Amino acid sequence: MNVRHAISGRHGRWLGPLAAAAIVLIAQISLRAQASQPTEAAASAAFKADVHARAGLTCESCHGPVRARSGGGAPVYAPIPRRSIAPMCAKCHSNAVYMRKFSPRVRVDEYAQYKTSLHGKRMAAGETRVATCSDCHQAHGIIEIRDARSPVAPAHVARTCAACHADAARMAPFKRSAEIPADWSKSVHAAALLQRGDKSAPTCSTCHGSHGATPPNVDAVANVCAECHVREAELFRASKKGALFAAMGQGDCIVCHSNHHIGPPKDAWVGLDEKANCATCHDATIPGADTINAVRKGFDDLALKMNGAKDLLTRAETAGMLVEDGKLALHDATEAHVRLRVLVHAFATPPFDAVLKEGVAAADKAGRLGDEAMAELQYRRRGLAIATLVILGFLLTLYVKIRRLPPV
Amino acid sequence: MTLIAIGKWLEERVGWRAVVELARHKTVPVHRHSIWYYFGGMTLFLFSVQVMTGILLMLYYRPSSEEAYESVQFIMTRVPFGWLVQSIHSWSANLMVAAAFVHLFSVLFLKAYRRPRELTWFSGVFLLFLTLGFGFTGYLLPWNELAFFATRVGTDIAGAVPVVGEGIVRFLRGGPDVTGATLTRFFGVHVAVLPALATALVGLHLLLVQYHGMSVPPSVAAQAARDGRPVRAMPFVPHFALRDLFGWTVALALLAGLSSYLPGELGVKADPFAPAPAGIQPEWYFLWTFQALKYMPAHVFGVNGELIAISVFSLGGAALLFVPFLDRGPRSSRLITWAAVGALVFMAVMTGLALSGGKTP
Repeated sequence: MNVRHAISGRHGRWLGPLAAAAIVLIAQISLRAQASQPTEAAASAAFKADVHARAGLTCESCHGPVRARSGGGAPVYAPIPRRSIAPMCAKCHSNAVYMRKFSPRVRVDEYAQYKTSLHGKRMAAGETRVATCSDCHQAHGIIEIRDARSPVAPAHVARTCAACHADAARMAPFKRSAEIPADWSKSVHAAALLQRGDKSAPTCSTCHGSHGATPPNVDAVANVCAECHVREAELFRASKKGALFAAMGQGDCIVCHSNHHIGPPKDAWVGLDEKANCATCHDATIPGADTINAVRKGFDDLALKMNGAKDLLTRAETAGMLVEDGKLALHDATEAHVRLRVLVHAFATPPFDAVLKEGVAAADKAGRLGDEAMAELQYRRRGLAIATLVILGFLLTLYVKIRRLPPV
Repeated sequence: MTLIAIGKWLEERVGWRAVVELARHKTVPVHRHSIWYYFGGMTLFLFSVQVMTGILLMLYYRPSSEEAYESVQFIMTRVPFGWLVQSIHSWSANLMVAAAFVHLFSVLFLKAYRRPRELTWFSGVFLLFLTLGFGFTGYLLPWNELAFFATRVGTDIAGAVPVVGEGIVRFLRGGPDVTGATLTRFFGVHVAVLPALATALVGLHLLLVQYHGMSVPPSVAAQAARDGRPVRAMPFVPHFALRDLFGWTVALALLAGLSSYLPGELGVKADPFAPAPAGIQPEWYFLWTFQALKYMPAHVFGVNGELIAISVFSLGGAALLFVPFLDRGPRSSRLITWAAVGALVFMAVMTGLALSGGKTP
């Protein structure tokens, strides 16, 4: 069974929590491994595959010359203090002239970004428990980001962040929740990235930044989400709700969608019943209740027609009919449904109604084609029954004729 | 001009009364194995159905990778009764292969290949090979995913032949891979080359059957000799002909039922750049070779396993063809019977394993 089948099938229910547990577990293991200082032999072995080794750098490039041990024995490289790691890396990585030798498009603003991040600011203030370059990129086995094995490749970013951010003991002094990685791993974003393998799906660094990692402020959340959800953001900003939220200092998108544990959208979020998101702030007495009810009714009507058409087409197809046209119409209805979920962000009926009409028309067409397919099926079966009767009659006649032939 | 006059006019020119006389005097032996005589006629009937439905399909089918799938879809959804014609063509192909196999094995077990019927046997074996060729080339024509990848796997097998394997694969495919060029040449072979050869061979086969008459199994002939009486026989017309017609009508009813209740699925259009989907399988009559190849190790004593399997299959095919010359007495005759039983069991077991999802590649 492949992953896609697993999440879409009956096992999908437990895959989310399982993925969350796996991320936290792997993160804890890698954290423990990271906490212990590597032996010089292990560091040398890891460095052989390091991108810096391929670029001609050596141990001395970062550690400086070997030093004699205080108690005698072979000389060793001095460890680099955590506060010095980022400035040390920046000596090369902030030097555009030097870095251009390796790649003309390489970034040189990582250190500048890092200094603006919460990690960087706290490090500068003397808090060495926060992340620095080697925590995310590793110290001696650094792999290029575009290499899928890199700990900061899209599929691994969440695991790398979770090494610290899922550790409750580590987060406690900073008053940060250690549940965030587990929450994200249950989101639609995690499912898209980790289970469907969609590398463009958002992970931690997509919203928080990588080197400049900082939680977005409430007023910036919509900008962050709008990086991908462009149309939703446009509609929201143009709506009355956008201005109202801004005035109230509300966090736009996260009010309805939350931040890390963003679930798949549902039509039932719209409405005034208990389970609906709108009901968190609205009830039937406020102005606009009619709009909420109208939008919800539109969704329900469309879903009813789409489900009816889908059922018919499935029955016809199972019975051996070709229902490509019906499926195409149903696809149009589904597309309209997706567009409607986007148009909800206008918090008004005019743009919604027009697309709803298209969706309903497509679902009706799919249903009609399903009906036609079922009628055609009945027609064929009647035809077969008549043909069978004729053939049976002929067979009977032949049988009688054969019986009446003179014996051999 | 009356019908009698037309008949007389034609008699002067083609001598058709000789055929009528032949039919009038032709007899068919009657014994406990007579039922197997009907499978040759059944195969011929299904071949005729294939020719007629094939001609109808050809009116709309377009043999290019861009249009083949869509044209079959058009036949199945838009053309009046197109679904029925397509479905009958597909089911009749399967029944025809089954009938041909039954006919071949019944002839083999009843020893009907013996002198002087060697040429009848040759033409029959070649007709079976042609039937399999029809199946293989026709399978690709709807240009769906399953057919595409099954053809890729099927043609790949020829690549295991030393020296000329690569050339054979390129010849079969019209290039290094299965493409629109493969589809075009498969279509040409399916609708022109194979039908021409099959028609000629069917003509020869029927002529030889008429010339030699129906074979009487040795056990039946021996029993009749012991009893001191001739083997019973029935007139071909009308006794055997009406029974044949009865069988054909049953086949027609079966075709109508299968085509209406279990019409073939078109599947998804072939995408040469897509990864091969799971569960790729050829038509059922090639399943046993497909499964046997799966069980072959990659190398046996340093020799390519696939090559060994192909060699064994080729030797089996050659042995089948030369059965009349291998049967040189009672001992070799028994050996041939047991070898045929063994081959049947092997084919059935391998097919069963493939259908039950045995070892996957």
